Amino acid sequence: MSPRVRPRPRVPDELPELPPHLRPAGRVLDARLHLLDRQILDVEDVPVTTLDDLHVSYADGDDDVTSGDRPAFVDQVLTGPVLVTRVFGGRPPASRLVRIPWSDVVDVGVAVRLGVRGEGLDATWVQRWLRDRVIGRIPGGRHDPE
Amino acid sequence: MILSDLVDAAVYEDGRQLGFVVDVRLALDGPVTGLMAAPRIVGLLVSARTSTSFMGYERTGTNAPAVIARYLAYRHRGTFLVLWEDVRTVGGGDAAGSADARVELRPGFRRWSAALEQHGTASQA
Repeated sequence: MSPRVRPRPRVPDELPELPPHLRPAGRVLDARLHLLDRQILDVEDVPVTTLDDLHVSYADGDDDVTSGDRPAFVDQVLTGPVLVTRVFGGRPPASRLVRIPWSDVVDVGVAVRLGVRGEGLDATWVQRWLRDRVIGRIPGGRHDPE
Repeated sequence: MILSDLVDAAVYEDGRQLGFVVDVRLALDGPVTGLMAAPRIVGLLVSARTSTSFMGYERTGTNAPAVIARYLAYRHRGTFLVLWEDVRTVGGGDAAGSADARVELRPGFRRWSAALEQHGTASQA
């Protein structure tokens, strides 16, 4: 069933103002607003891919996060072939998502910046394959335009 | 867990539906494994009316264009932050947008303001 047709609770027009929560020690981000769909740039500002999802686990590495009993952390940035599933619904299997460890991330702003070169990441293997196997076989395809 | 399992999930307290998860609030105060601290889940933003959000109007205090801002403020009225500690169970869905995705809150959980300014977020993002 589409989320758009799920039953929704009634909400009164006027609601009391809620108290603010104490500010955490670190910078605050909303995942959907500040991270998802952002472009990922490598250490040389070369676009690598987009941030399609985030992997969450407990501090001990257990990724079976089923309750808020323990603090949960983002440990990986996920990217992959999500265009088709966004149009038709669902999500690609976890095995199809490429994982970039959060330890490679050095800045979050308009784009997400990595501290490593994109050339060595699994996320760029399609581009590398096309470059080496297709573009490189076209005459003139192995050097910059003159 | 993949974050998409949480976003868009239906939220319940003691069997009563409260709304849908529109976003997940993170704080960069987790373990430092590289140059940045790992984002810790602070809580879930729950909207009673809709599981979608448009540019965070309901959280950022943006008031222009006025017509859109007022419409979105009305549409997202009652949006609140619930702390991660108050989440009793997460589960039931295995795909983003699954109607079965479900978050159960602890009885007596507390609602907090969803506003980002009060959390002092960076403005450039």
